[in-house]
Amino acid sequence: MLRGAVGICGFLLLWECAVQLGAVSAQQLCPPSQVAAAFFTKLADPRPDGATLGAHFIASSSVALGGFLLACLIGLPLGLAMGYYQPVYLLANPIFELLRPIPPIAWIPIVTLLLGIGAQARIFIIFLSAVVPCVINAYTGIRHVPERYIHVGQSLGMSRWRIFTKICIPCALPTLFVGVRLSLNTAWTALVAAEMMASVRGLGYMIQMGRLLIQPDIIITGMLTIGSTGALMSALLSLIEKRLTKWGAER
Amino acid sequence: MNGFSERAAPRRLLRLLPLLSLLAFLSVWHLAALCTDLLATPLDTAKALAGMLFFPTSKVTLLHHVWASLCRVLAAYALAIAAGVLLGVLFGWSRRFHDYCYPIFELLRPIPPIAWIPLIIMWLGIGEPSKIAVCFIGSVVPILVNTYFGVSRLDPTYLKSAKILGAGQRALLTHVILPGALPSILTGMKVALSSGWVCVIAAEMIAARKGLGYLIIRSMESGDMVHILVAMILIGSVNFLFSWLFSKLEGVVCPW
Amino acid sequence: MSDAKVQVRQLTKGFGELLVLDNLTFDVRPGEFLCVVGPTGCGKTTLLNLLSSWWTPTQGEICIDGRAMDPKTQNLSFVFQESSAFPWLTVEQNVQFGMKEKRFPPELIAQRTREVMGLLDLESVKEKYCHEISASAEQRVVIGRSFALHPDFLLMDEPYAQLDIKFRLHLEDAILALNRSTGSTCLFVTHNIEEAVYLAQRCIVLSNKPTSIKAVRTIDLPYPRDTCSPEFIAIKDEITEMIKWW
Repeated sequence: MLRGAVGICGFLLLWECAVQLGAVSAQQLCPPSQVAAAFFTKLADPRPDGATLGAHFIASSSVALGGFLLACLIGLPLGLAMGYYQPVYLLANPIFELLRPIPPIAWIPIVTLLLGIGAQARIFIIFLSAVVPCVINAYTGIRHVPERYIHVGQSLGMSRWRIFTKICIPCALPTLFVGVRLSLNTAWTALVAAEMMASVRGLGYMIQMGRLLIQPDIIITGMLTIGSTGALMSALLSLIEKRLTKWGAER
Repeated sequence: MNGFSERAAPRRLLRLLPLLSLLAFLSVWHLAALCTDLLATPLDTAKALAGMLFFPTSKVTLLHHVWASLCRVLAAYALAIAAGVLLGVLFGWSRRFHDYCYPIFELLRPIPPIAWIPLIIMWLGIGEPSKIAVCFIGSVVPILVNTYFGVSRLDPTYLKSAKILGAGQRALLTHVILPGALPSILTGMKVALSSGWVCVIAAEMIAARKGLGYLIIRSMESGDMVHILVAMILIGSVNFLFSWLFSKLEGVVCPW
Repeated sequence: MSDAKVQVRQLTKGFGELLVLDNLTFDVRPGEFLCVVGPTGCGKTTLLNLLSSWWTPTQGEICIDGRAMDPKTQNLSFVFQESSAFPWLTVEQNVQFGMKEKRFPPELIAQRTREVMGLLDLESVKEKYCHEISASAEQRVVIGRSFALHPDFLLMDEPYAQLDIKFRLHLEDAILALNRSTGSTCLFVTHNIEEAVYLAQRCIVLSNKPTSIKAVRTIDLPYPRDTCSPEFIAIKDEITEMIKWW
């Protein structure tokens, strides 16, 4: 742990010196001190792109979480149903497999043309990217339920629906969570892409503006904010996951 | 032989479902295209795809755009494999190196590769190097992480046995560590290829003069729906091809 | 026999051209402990899958209490070789699972849970999850879950095959005690003949595929049985011979 701190400090020091001593042009890279200054300024200052850091952050997070929650609400039940009911799988899988290889950013142009550049368009793009891990992991989770568990349910005379809800879903919960975590990650990445290309607010837009106005301190502030928010959300999700699946993975 | 399947609907009917599903999808697409001015029909898209393969648009045929994107991704991918495996082995092999440097990596890792684009464009302009750099960032992370895991989680008994048999450091590396970590490395490489492809397209969408990303953004700016769809199909197909090729490769290189 | 609890009539199962079970007919008396032994690969698993209504027979029928076997209205239980304890439930919740599904009244559930966990020595771990207890404890949980229902028909497929020998002997006595206290009709499949002779009141010997009943041996020895007694060894040898020749 101590070594890590030393490593990071060394890195920051090197960075600071490289710029201050002129090894790297100040136009292209700004020292960490300047980044820190920009961070604190931007918290309250709406210049140069029209909104404070906080406003951008809220715009980004709300859109990302909106798309993410929508993806979970639709993707998880769909994946679970696909794993359990064969007709659902046969109907949904071809379309899913057809659309899956298309990366989320490739959807941005078509969605922008059809829905504009408002928040709904971005939520939809995020939904399209975040729904994939939800479906896949929910499906895999159900497929990996050991057959003997279902056999137990069946010999107890449980209906198919009851077996699904009382045995299959609890058993699949850890895999579901892996999917949800992946989905959150994907949602956040898709958000940044959508904001960089089709938005007038948000952290992605902020760093785009930073480039156009040649302000590396804004760019780096934005990048670090994006990175830490993503990490924080992931950590929170892991915490929830640990609580709900305290029974641990199967031996 | 599951008890459920014995009571399922007749098999012939079930086998038709995927086909019905695809037909329904194409029909809905077609109907939607007829209803709004903006969307293009499946047929138009197919015709455009065929046409573009042979006739140039803006002095460059479709194949040139595909080739441009592919070159970038493959160049970056090769660099990413070299750097990723090297660093991954170093992190897994040397405790000291890991303790000092891994936190720096962990600090930068959560930043999505796409978020690096503005900075990289500022540094490297909008030519080839910037695209390759972005793609490199996207590819190197999965390879590094997976290599590191593969090396650090290697069963210590393998290393002990090899040392007892008198293996030197280099032999240890090439004959025990790398083969042992290979399944993990391959997984990382698979993810990295897909990830790199996405990054290249993203970089091209933001600032480029050729490539599939450039094509799709230009079509968006001119409201050309057909070409957007064509580009989407191509981007998806290359992605799919990469995955497929990789699964075949895995079977050959890593039969265990 | 009209007083039989379980009646199996002309039970036959084939997969395409392959005939696995051929015309099996036998009865199980109420509260009886019946063992089924046979050479490896003789279709014991197929028999169990049919008896637990997981598969449907090609021909023949299985009746419990005179009616066709129906898991929804009758209490059936199955103990697998591998643990089928649910990892997301505690030991106590696992034991109660079957009873809750069958909507037993809460006082009955509590009473049966106590009874069964006491006999199987699970009281001390009742709040733990499966990954926190040993493999033998897990199997005991499954056995407890099955017996707590006081099932009409309880099937066991070599439940100790994957456990240490010292646990086997202890658990065998526990199963016999449960059989007596709950009055459940039990069918126990095993390839370990000593175990079969130790537990069974009657022992069915199966032949090779296509499997039919080679012999039915009633074992009249008093419980608890002495594995070293001459009668025990004689019966064990007799059954071993029967299997060897086929």
